[in-house]
Amino acid sequence: MSMMKTSTVPKPFHDAVLKWRDEYLPDYDFLMENWEKHFPTEPKFQLCAFRQMGMCTEIECGDMKGKPKFTHAADMLPEQAHHLFGAIRAQASTEFGSIQQHRLTLARAQEEEEQFWILRMMAEELRHGYQMLHLLVEDDWSIVSKESKADLVEGILSMNTGSHLLGAFNIDFDSFIDNVVFCGLIDRVGKYQLAMQKVSAYQPMAESMPQMLREEAFHLAAGVVPMRRWVTAAAKGGSFVTMADLRKALNKWVPRALEMFGDERGGGTNVKFGLKPMKNSEAQAQYVEEIGKLVRDLNVRYVRAIDETLSPTQADAVLDRLLAEGGSHLSQGGGVRAEDLLRLPHGDYFRRRGVPAFRMVGAGGETYTDLPSYLRHLISSLPDSYRASRDFKDYVELLTQVQQGTVKTEDAAGRMPSLRRVGGACTCSKAVRWVVDDQPAQPAA
Amino acid sequence: MSEPTSEIRIRPLDEMDISAVTGIDEKISGHYRPEVWERRIGYHLRRDPDSCVGAERGGRLVGFMLGEIRSLEFGLDEPTGWIEVLGVDPDTRGQSVGRKMAEAMLDYFRAQGAHSVRTLVDEDRDELSGFFSSLGFEPARLKPFVRSL
Repeated sequence: MSMMKTSTVPKPFHDAVLKWRDEYLPDYDFLMENWEKHFPTEPKFQLCAFRQMGMCTEIECGDMKGKPKFTHAADMLPEQAHHLFGAIRAQASTEFGSIQQHRLTLARAQEEEEQFWILRMMAEELRHGYQMLHLLVEDDWSIVSKESKADLVEGILSMNTGSHLLGAFNIDFDSFIDNVVFCGLIDRVGKYQLAMQKVSAYQPMAESMPQMLREEAFHLAAGVVPMRRWVTAAAKGGSFVTMADLRKALNKWVPRALEMFGDERGGGTNVKFGLKPMKNSEAQAQYVEEIGKLVRDLNVRYVRAIDETLSPTQADAVLDRLLAEGGSHLSQGGGVRAEDLLRLPHGDYFRRRGVPAFRMVGAGGETYTDLPSYLRHLISSLPDSYRASRDFKDYVELLTQVQQGTVKTEDAAGRMPSLRRVGGACTCSKAVRWVVDDQPAQPAA
Repeated sequence: MSEPTSEIRIRPLDEMDISAVTGIDEKISGHYRPEVWERRIGYHLRRDPDSCVGAERGGRLVGFMLGEIRSLEFGLDEPTGWIEVLGVDPDTRGQSVGRKMAEAMLDYFRAQGAHSVRTLVDEDRDELSGFFSSLGFEPARLKPFVRSL
């Protein structure tokens, strides 16, 4: 029988997470009070760390393949432990960070069911962050960090939108479309990271992944199912969420999702150390194929909702023709125009990190040679509300400097300003400022 | 067309399979019901994603099976595995797709501590009865009751 071991972190850290929850997940009690209504027969949420027992105990990839997995960071090579430590902190940052983003627009959901899905997902992200804190406080990380455990936890819990380690978690949500599309796209990157970390040479990390992956499966559904419903409603003439809205949301989030895999040239060190089985570009390529399928499924759903007489084969043929040749398909239920369909933005579009950073490539893959034209393209292809954000302004300013030659492209990626706590150690410190790094970011290993 | 030479791979279903499951159901039933499968698969992914499996051949989903472990229902105190839905692409029938999915599902139920697995089959569905009998299922004492409303 498979065994799951549950534990909680020492009380001061557990209490710190509860305090954080009160601040950033104020609807938690509401979720618990209504759990039976929305999730009858489903086990109630529990804030704890889960570890799957009985997993592979030998390192599964890299130079140490076949040797026993590490149960203590202190036994690892210093550089190996350093990479792992960074990955755990980054994972924790993303888990807590996404809750801070979701809470901004949670109340704007039009359907109670979808709102509760997101709310439950937020609670589970809290547990995922808790799981990462558990890894940090249950082991001795002095081999790579001189910070005390209290400082480590406090450092993570004090991050906010703008100061998280990955760009996707520093962008404010503007509407409930972001909640849903984020689940479908950004949580999918999370699934890849968790699946890769399931083979980690560090046994506690590997054992942490199975339950997180089970929960992540629902998070992806909480994105994909509403998106499928929205394209159906759009096909029937509903105007709450249009295809154009969804297309722009894809343009907003896909570039950030691609960057979450790290620099396309990197990832070899993680493989070498047995921490992940794939390099960044390999994982990213699989992801692109998967979201390409998602977009196609949504388009098929849209086309068949408009023309209900189409068989699956006919719907595929109509979609292929519209995507390749443009034009429209007319039916009694209305028409489908090629420009109504969703399209995945080109991998080089609107990038600020990695190989294509600050190239002026359009959503369709077209290249722009002058800045004003490219900015007009971005303005027309991104959500209106996002264009008014600090994040977009910073990007435009930096792109302008790159184009003027005052900042080198390779340096620009590390120059995106971020919110930082610049004074005070208390979690409630208000001493945050927009800060630009002096050092350019290194390609992710 | 079936591809009998490529191997069948059994794996957990995920949200990306909704379209393929809808397609298999459409082939079997003649009805296009995406909303049914969005809800159904969404439920299983939320409750226990390991208890719904798919059969893949050459990168294409050719079968699916949804189940779950329940306790304290119908007077059954102990955890019991339930196979609730089974669908196999008609083009790949006769190639042990259902059997392979069932074996994976039974392994999972066993690993989760279930000592028995149950399902309900319409008396008129001889092929389904035969399928479950071939897997070792036997008629149970639990009798289904129904009334019109």
